[in-house]
Amino acid sequence: MLASSVQRSKPTPYPSKARSALIRRAIVVGLVIVALALVTISFRSPTAGALHDVQGAGSTALRPFQIAATRIAQPFRDGYDWVASVSSAKSENAHLKRELRELRLEAIHNRASALKAQQLESLLHFQQRATFPNGYRAVNAEVTSFPSNPFTHSLEIAAGSSAGVRLNSPVVTRDGLVGIASNVEPQTSVVTLLTDPSTYVAALDIQTRVRSGMVHTGPGGTLILDQVPKTLRIKDGDALVTDGTHNARYRDLYPYGIPIGRVSSVGATDTATFLQVQLQPFASLGSLDAVAVLVPKKPHR
Amino acid sequence: MTLGDGVKAAALLFVAAVAQVSIFSQLHVFGAVPDVLLVSLVALALLRGSVVGAVGGFFAGLLVDTASLGTMGLTSLVLTLAGYWIGRYGETTGRDRGHAPFLSVAVVTVLYQLGLLVVHFVLGESAPAGAVVRSLIPAIVLNLILTAPIYALVRRLLRPAARDELSAEVQLLG
Repeated sequence: MLASSVQRSKPTPYPSKARSALIRRAIVVGLVIVALALVTISFRSPTAGALHDVQGAGSTALRPFQIAATRIAQPFRDGYDWVASVSSAKSENAHLKRELRELRLEAIHNRASALKAQQLESLLHFQQRATFPNGYRAVNAEVTSFPSNPFTHSLEIAAGSSAGVRLNSPVVTRDGLVGIASNVEPQTSVVTLLTDPSTYVAALDIQTRVRSGMVHTGPGGTLILDQVPKTLRIKDGDALVTDGTHNARYRDLYPYGIPIGRVSSVGATDTATFLQVQLQPFASLGSLDAVAVLVPKKPHR
Repeated sequence: MTLGDGVKAAALLFVAAVAQVSIFSQLHVFGAVPDVLLVSLVALALLRGSVVGAVGGFFAGLLVDTASLGTMGLTSLVLTLAGYWIGRYGETTGRDRGHAPFLSVAVVTVLYQLGLLVVHFVLGESAPAGAVVRSLIPAIVLNLILTAPIYALVRRLLRPAARDELSAEVQLLG
């Protein structure tokens, strides 16, 4: 009996279930294919084409909702900021008083130097390009979307070509350089941040006058000053500003004199050709509410 | 899924996507950002199944990519797969289990981050694996904090589907 073969009944087919599973899989595969097609098209032409136009129109349509959401959240953010600032106010106050004393002396010295430089320029009839901030007007704009993950190094602002923003316009805050307008729509623009791996900025150390470095993001995601030969001297705490030079390899789009950041560490190894300089940006790139886009007062610079 | 449910689900994902891009993306806690859109999508997929999860993920991703002027289709791709996978879990083993939303959110947070990392790496863009790995634990904690209220809200908004509405495609072989 045990050895006898048992005829197993044929499995009952479930035509409707099989069909629904097929439809479900077809839907998902279809969506994945469409998504991949969109990625391909968008990646191949990020700043032009029909998809870009549709995206721009969609972004413009979504902007009122984004602004409304930001306005709703603003009181909560202000409340949080107030609590956070109160907790650190005392120590910050003492630090700022000390810094104010130092900066007051520095400002008097700088004013005297600037006056002298102005007189010398006038005597020499010195010709120069537009410099920051005199040669530019600021288009102030609200930040409407922020980088939400470690992969994104751009943000969207509520000003576009209709406000005078042009492709590659430098973007700043009152603290320093933020990045560059990398995609401009009529009402909105995308700002590629200083921390984006594609961003390179020629920098000048205003303490030591070293001007051979390029600020960009290093392998660990930190901001570094690269290509500074070990023979040159850069030290912790030095302030860096945009150099405004034109390098054959890296097209420099920033005018002279925009504060970039402060040197946080300097290192050198026997094997490396250049110094290893890390810096902390002046602008708080992680929490920007508003920025200013610099538009040259003269059409060509 | 009724038309009313569809409209509610679309409205939910729209609000979540706009809130994510405009508000939550600024809240950096230990290097992580709470993802209200991902948690909403997980809740929706668990309650309404894989097809709704995949379609919802696709269009929510499109909204995010459009609002942030990012690479179109990139977020869609990852959210479509996340919505589908969680939907299948809900349709099969995750049914009626109290821990299902929390487990789903924790796992999907990891897979979503790693999925984005892979896609960015394949596209030759910045893919900081170290930063992503460091932010995983805080991201899971933040999303788990959001899970209970969001799941309760979505459950209240969308009546739980009857068993026969969900796909029952667990077939025993043999």
